[in-house]
Amino acid sequence: MLFPTIEFALFFSLSYVLVWALNSRNGLKKVVLLLLSLAFYASWNWRFLLLLFASAAISYLVGLYVDPAFARPWRRTALLIGVALDLGILAYFKYLDFFIAQLMTLGHAVGVELPLGFINVTLPVAISFLTFHAISYIVDVYRGRLSASRSPVDILLYISFFPHLVAGPIVRAHEFLPQLASPRRAADFSFGENVLLILGGLFKKMVIANYLAVGLVDPVFTDPSQFSRVDLIVAIYAYAIQIYADFSAYTDIAIGVAALLGYKFPQNFNQPYRALGIGDFWRRWHITLSNWLRDYLYIPLGGNRHGSLMTARNLLLTMLLGGLWHGANWTFLIWGAMHGVALIIDRAWRGGALYARIGETALVKALYWFITFHFVCFAWLFFRSSSLDGVSAYVSGLISDNGAAIITPSYAPVLIALGALTQILPHDARARFGARLDARAPAVQGAFGFTAFYAVLAMAPSAAAPFIYFQF
Amino acid sequence: MTSISAPPTRVANPWVRACVLFAILIAGAFAFPGGMTDWLDERNASGWLSAPLAVARAVDDVSSALRVKQVGQGLRKAFGDWVGAQ
Repeated sequence: MLFPTIEFALFFSLSYVLVWALNSRNGLKKVVLLLLSLAFYASWNWRFLLLLFASAAISYLVGLYVDPAFARPWRRTALLIGVALDLGILAYFKYLDFFIAQLMTLGHAVGVELPLGFINVTLPVAISFLTFHAISYIVDVYRGRLSASRSPVDILLYISFFPHLVAGPIVRAHEFLPQLASPRRAADFSFGENVLLILGGLFKKMVIANYLAVGLVDPVFTDPSQFSRVDLIVAIYAYAIQIYADFSAYTDIAIGVAALLGYKFPQNFNQPYRALGIGDFWRRWHITLSNWLRDYLYIPLGGNRHGSLMTARNLLLTMLLGGLWHGANWTFLIWGAMHGVALIIDRAWRGGALYARIGETALVKALYWFITFHFVCFAWLFFRSSSLDGVSAYVSGLISDNGAAIITPSYAPVLIALGALTQILPHDARARFGARLDARAPAVQGAFGFTAFYAVLAMAPSAAAPFIYFQF
Repeated sequence: MTSISAPPTRVANPWVRACVLFAILIAGAFAFPGGMTDWLDERNASGWLSAPLAVARAVDDVSSALRVKQVGQGLRKAFGDWVGAQ
């Protein structure tokens, strides 16, 4: 059940009515919300509900054990077992075949045929996101950031809450669980701002991302050897805009839908292509993943507390694993490694004497933005390609031109420019416009909402590409 | 980004908000009725959606009679032609 579909519109309408009808009976509301979330997940494959139950059971039991309030022995061991179980589930479904393939290749290279076989198991939707939610809960409890919940319903709802279930944002347990404690107040959330968030998300996904994917990016990346240098260059920029429009659209809709139901989610994007440096980029791109990796991986590895060399190692390891989190493929590992190395260089540059002297001048900042943006775009080439052979064919085409005619559709530059425009809009534009909309009568809000919705429906192409982050 | 400290709004009642949201969705379904009709039709192999399908077809007929449907289709085609994508 994808967000911009009739199924989801009906599902959300039903959810909205049930949630607010039961708002004063919080316990019952949570059970209903949980059932809705399970139904949402089951719409892909009901068998994977067992995975959700297993993940929630691990979190619930380990959380109760490691809560510092009870000062139980072997707390750390229990935490490690819990994290290992969560990661074990993820590894089994997502990485086992990849590692088996690497072992077989290695064995073949040294003349040994290993008696191994692939498990060929279907990758459950959202497994990476639900694993990170589960780990977030038990680690936060272990660290005393929140008390262990005695309610299995709360834990299962935290992990499975349908707005964030499939592609985030990654909502931390200490951010979400307290919101389950009491009935919600619609007045705590701006209606106008969240409707704008959803409508803007629909536009970014259904118009910008879909047209760029279907008309240019997908064909070019499927077989780069058939396209000219110009097409290959434009397709890289187009993919940079497509992945931003696609992923930020999903999380915008998720945040807006959650807010309309009375739950606050954290921001996940903040005009990432304005970043000055890779460190800045990761403070703006998939913010909830960056924060998760920082708090649950980089800092436990030692962070920046043990000198430059160890800091560099920790940055590289964090980004390598961050890359691998996206998928079991060398392309993701290399993408992560590229960002890790860039983070190390960025950190060194910002800590250096030269930066102190000229780093804040307009010219250097402009140059640094240019380098950052183009590095990110080049790294997307690895992220988007299905294999290293694909990357090689792409780079080869960039050099040789492939002798093909230019086929870039005329709308691609317009959509790329539109996507770029989203990076320079004032930060508070949506909040200000939303507040103005809040002050209007419901009929005006409805008329505005319908006009915007109508425009999106009129512009959306008939063929739609799936959300990119669904595969993770 | 949403704000939990948003100022008091004119429409703080969730049921008024529901009316606005549902009005937008229903008006969208009326303006582009083909989507809902096709969606129901595809899922009606066993006939259990016959009643809502009949309603959707009636909405489609009214939308068509009022030329609302044609305007939507025309705009969609014009945009598709303009971008050269359909």
